[in-house]
Amino acid sequence: MSATVTTGASSRRSPSDWALKVAPWVLLFVILAIVPFQFPSFRVEQICFWMTLAIAACGLNLLTGYNGQISVGHGALFGIGAYTTGILITEFGVPLFGATVASAVVCFAAGILIGLPALRIKGLYLALVTLAVATLFPLFLEQFSAITGGSGGLQITSPQLYRGEMRERPIRLESPVAGLENDQWKYFVFLGITVVIFILSRNLIKSRVGRSLVAVRDNEVAAESSGIPVSQVKIVTFGLSAAIAGIGGSLFALDQGQLYPSSFTIVLSIYILVAVVVGGAASIIGPAIGAVFYGLFSDVIVQQMPDRIQPARAVILGVLLILLMLLAPGGIVGGFRTLQAKWSARRSSAHNSGPSVTGPSATGPEATA
Amino acid sequence: MSSAGDGVSSASDGVSSASDGVSSAGHLLEVKTLGAGYGIVEVLFGVDLVVDPGEVVVVLGANGAGKTTTLRAISGMIAATGQVTFLGESVLGRRPDQLVKRGMAHVPQGRGTVTALTVEENLRIGAYVRSDDQVDSDIQQWFEAFPRLGERKDQLAGSMSGGEQQMLAIARALMSRPKLLLLDEPSLGLAPLVTHEVFERLREISVSTGTAVLLVEQNANLALEFAARAYVLEAGRIVLSGNSADLQGDAAIQKAYLGV
Amino acid sequence: MRDFLQILLVGIGDGAVYAMLGLGLVVIYRSTGLLNFAQGEMAMFSTFIVWTMWSLGLPMWLAVLGGMAGGFCVGALVHQVAVRPVGDPHEKPLAVVIVTIGLFLGLNGAAQLIWGTLDRSMPPLFGRGQVTVFGVAVAWQKIGAVIVLGVMVLLFYLLFQHTKLGLAMRAVASNSESASLVGIPVPRLLMLGWGLAAAVGTVAGVFIAPNLGLGTNLMQLTLIFGFAAITLGGFDSLVGAVVGGFVVGALSSVMPRYITIFEKMPLAPAFILILAVLLFRPEGLFGKKQVTRV
Repeated sequence: MSATVTTGASSRRSPSDWALKVAPWVLLFVILAIVPFQFPSFRVEQICFWMTLAIAACGLNLLTGYNGQISVGHGALFGIGAYTTGILITEFGVPLFGATVASAVVCFAAGILIGLPALRIKGLYLALVTLAVATLFPLFLEQFSAITGGSGGLQITSPQLYRGEMRERPIRLESPVAGLENDQWKYFVFLGITVVIFILSRNLIKSRVGRSLVAVRDNEVAAESSGIPVSQVKIVTFGLSAAIAGIGGSLFALDQGQLYPSSFTIVLSIYILVAVVVGGAASIIGPAIGAVFYGLFSDVIVQQMPDRIQPARAVILGVLLILLMLLAPGGIVGGFRTLQAKWSARRSSAHNSGPSVTGPSATGPEATA
Repeated sequence: MSSAGDGVSSASDGVSSASDGVSSAGHLLEVKTLGAGYGIVEVLFGVDLVVDPGEVVVVLGANGAGKTTTLRAISGMIAATGQVTFLGESVLGRRPDQLVKRGMAHVPQGRGTVTALTVEENLRIGAYVRSDDQVDSDIQQWFEAFPRLGERKDQLAGSMSGGEQQMLAIARALMSRPKLLLLDEPSLGLAPLVTHEVFERLREISVSTGTAVLLVEQNANLALEFAARAYVLEAGRIVLSGNSADLQGDAAIQKAYLGV
Repeated sequence: MRDFLQILLVGIGDGAVYAMLGLGLVVIYRSTGLLNFAQGEMAMFSTFIVWTMWSLGLPMWLAVLGGMAGGFCVGALVHQVAVRPVGDPHEKPLAVVIVTIGLFLGLNGAAQLIWGTLDRSMPPLFGRGQVTVFGVAVAWQKIGAVIVLGVMVLLFYLLFQHTKLGLAMRAVASNSESASLVGIPVPRLLMLGWGLAAAVGTVAGVFIAPNLGLGTNLMQLTLIFGFAAITLGGFDSLVGAVVGGFVVGALSSVMPRYITIFEKMPLAPAFILILAVLLFRPEGLFGKKQVTRV
């Protein structure tokens, strides 16, 4: 039967197929490695910020893309991570990246706390609650200004050797390596953390636990009856998602050195969600692509526009989101996959020399791509 | 009003309102090679049928044969291919609300009662496309014809029994004074006695208003007593058609297609 | 005690505005089944239209009507272009959320493009005078808000209960398939619903702008109050929007004053309310119990 011909053709792994698969990653690796040396330091700093967004988007993707719980409040979790790091370093002298770990733990707890009521509140209503959390968050920071510094901001300082004495000075990520500038060093550290987080989340998603996340998203009742502890999965996913966002926030704090409530409004939550959706929800690398896309769009392209029409970026973004949902709900990665499927379908039908398997006599629904 | 209520199959007897724009063959509704489906699943594979002014036609068939799909394709609730001509005009691709204006009303499966409105309000929106001043008197007439509806006129429509809701659905559809009524499985979920009553009423109404009825039903016996002509639908195709009398009489056909 | 009464009355005045936003949100929820996170931005945009007309010399009340008409067009357009093509909110909640967020960003950005980022001042519709009620000074503007809300509720009542159009809109909200089958042009009525919601939001904006200054972030907090109002009242209940609005207004005015931890977070009582209602009585005070589809 002609079916055998097709299977045979696709199972043969030619060296060119393998090269085609690995090549993009090698290229990416090379690009990422030389970036900090090709661009001026302010640009490298910007890219570091994009990375913190990418991490937050990775966390949100786990919750919304793979587990189906909509959150428009991850900016608040990002902010909790940032302020936790800032306060621990400044008030309690915790070492820099130790504070990052602490932020992850605190945000994990916060995520569990939000995940509990989220068990009963779903879909649009969960979006509403998280929207309210995100809107409330800056006010919350101002309320407890004794700890957070309120609208005056929080300067993150640590005891450092300065002119022979130990003094409280703003933190700086200093490069211990001779050939690397501070910003380049920061770039590689952030990149390393980002890559690790993405690899870990990839492993999680491909594991049995990851599949249970998706099962819960697609059909809770069916998942429950096949033995998955739905409530636990949902709560823990919220916790993990929050912890990851918190790590992003912590790095943001280390990057910026000072924190203001106005950086953590609902707009931040929206941008994290935008990064997830534009990149492609429920894809592993989507959040990174979305964050880079967003970063390029708002920091590079828009800056080229005259000041007067800068607000147009929000309009363009808004229109883009709407068009995306109508035309390509799978985001950039989704669009890419569709193209890939079409291309490989064309290739395999070129290989097929015999009569086609699917003819007019085929009855019943075909498996959907 | 028309007098062609006795099931004569293809007489286009010049009823003034129905003959405006009737196709050359004189049919009220003419369906040719109708195809329709849901997503990638095709359900209808070329259905042909006609309905003439004032007559009652039934489409019979087992569950899943495509009866409901046929009506939905005709009234525009789902996309379809082929030809649908109503009053001489091609109506394929039009939305259901546009067809009501042209004189075709569809009572969907499950009645489609608007549960948040009262009985009277349900009747009133049935007349949405009308702009004359007889709407109120029509409503009164329905209350007289169906006293149970009149008793409950200010109650929420969703609180009534199945049979009452069926009467309401039919009355509501007829409020627009259509030339053709599409009726989807009126017997569904109703006790036999109630179904009988519904059909009785339907016969009276059809005779007195001259409205043609295209009915789909699983309950073959009851439907054949009521309709003049019948089509039998199987797996998305018409496999049999003829006068009800003939179909009722033929035992072999009864057994093969009508599950007797 | 007098202090308390004063604060309470201010809250009730605010609550009237939240109720106005809530009415718009309920109309949209009932007809298209979604929570319109862009309601605030639609209202803000049309309030800017009001300001533009007023600053061109029109008397305030005429500018408001003009803004409402403009808002109506914006709402209808938004529905046609963005909401209608997306599909059923219950089947694709994420897509709907993204679209409303897209509208949020787009309208906000458009307002900034057209009117810039500086706050404008807009005079209160009922002036800055006060009157003494029960020994307490109450602004005419607050009383005006309650009166206007009352008029709005009356108009809604007349529309929905005594006109053919209103009846058709109720039919569409209850069962849009059946509505289509009796000849109601459903897409057109949905568009109408969105236009109406936007027009109603305009009035809310007109009452808020004089206090806060008319800027593009005018509605960002107020929207949450509006949602709290309809959450408490029941997402599909117009009566609930009014009752909920007053309760939320009163609580949000009183609690931050007497509970120090809420001092800088007037939004906190509203948030707690939203959370509590959704957890313990999701249909609110006047809403219909939703049957969860399995």
